[in-house]
Amino acid sequence: MIFNRFTRGPRRCVEAAVEEARMLGHDSIGDEDLLLGILRADEGTAAEALSSLGVTLGAARNESEGMSSEALSSIGISLEEVRREAGDAFDISIPEDRRIPFSPRAKNALEQALREAVRLRHNYIGTEHVLLGILGNEDGTAVRMLARLGVSPEALEDRLFETMPRYEGEDD
Amino acid sequence: MDKNTRTRVGGLDDPREGLESVVALRRMLEALEAAQVENAFVVGWSWARIAEVLGVSKQAVHKKHAKRIRARYSGGEGSRR
Repeated sequence: MIFNRFTRGPRRCVEAAVEEARMLGHDSIGDEDLLLGILRADEGTAAEALSSLGVTLGAARNESEGMSSEALSSIGISLEEVRREAGDAFDISIPEDRRIPFSPRAKNALEQALREAVRLRHNYIGTEHVLLGILGNEDGTAVRMLARLGVSPEALEDRLFETMPRYEGEDD
Repeated sequence: MDKNTRTRVGGLDDPREGLESVVALRRMLEALEAAQVENAFVVGWSWARIAEVLGVSKQAVHKKHAKRIRARYSGGEGSRR
């Protein structure tokens, strides 16, 4: 798809997103996994902006797991109890031999990253554009996960624009 | 918009939470099936017997679980009867 237009940063963050999704048992790669991927790859403007606002990989994973376990308890199921009953064999992660597809939200965020780069007249696509693409979906899981960590999309965007490399020339 | 006031049941008042509970349940179900099949295999149940209780074909169970479980117990007591 559009991966060939990405620089190293976003490529690494997409690879890391797949690893996060696999580990957390996400049977599709969601927009929140892209966010986790940015944190896991830990390079580039986006990771800097996130960490400057106190968003760590560990905290974000916790929120992701917390959201799933709350979703289950809303229908009366305790993940902890199921885990205890099933014993050591219970492993939420997705087996290595199973492919994990991208969710429509994640695809959309990646496409949006491209549009953000064009809009900003940047001649590359970096992790900052991916993060802007993720933040574009207010209803997405990533934005709600960030809200639980006390970070609003606006604050994060402001921070990104402060740290983003600027290009001479046609920008005004 | 959504101020995250915890609606207790993912019902009509919050369709998204209701739908998300389905996603979480599906993921948990997959992990639970994998765990229970593994548990049965470890105590010596055959694929045929596991499949029978799950109500699916032996081929289906084998295709979905054998590779993963064998990889984990390879070399050990390959307890397949």
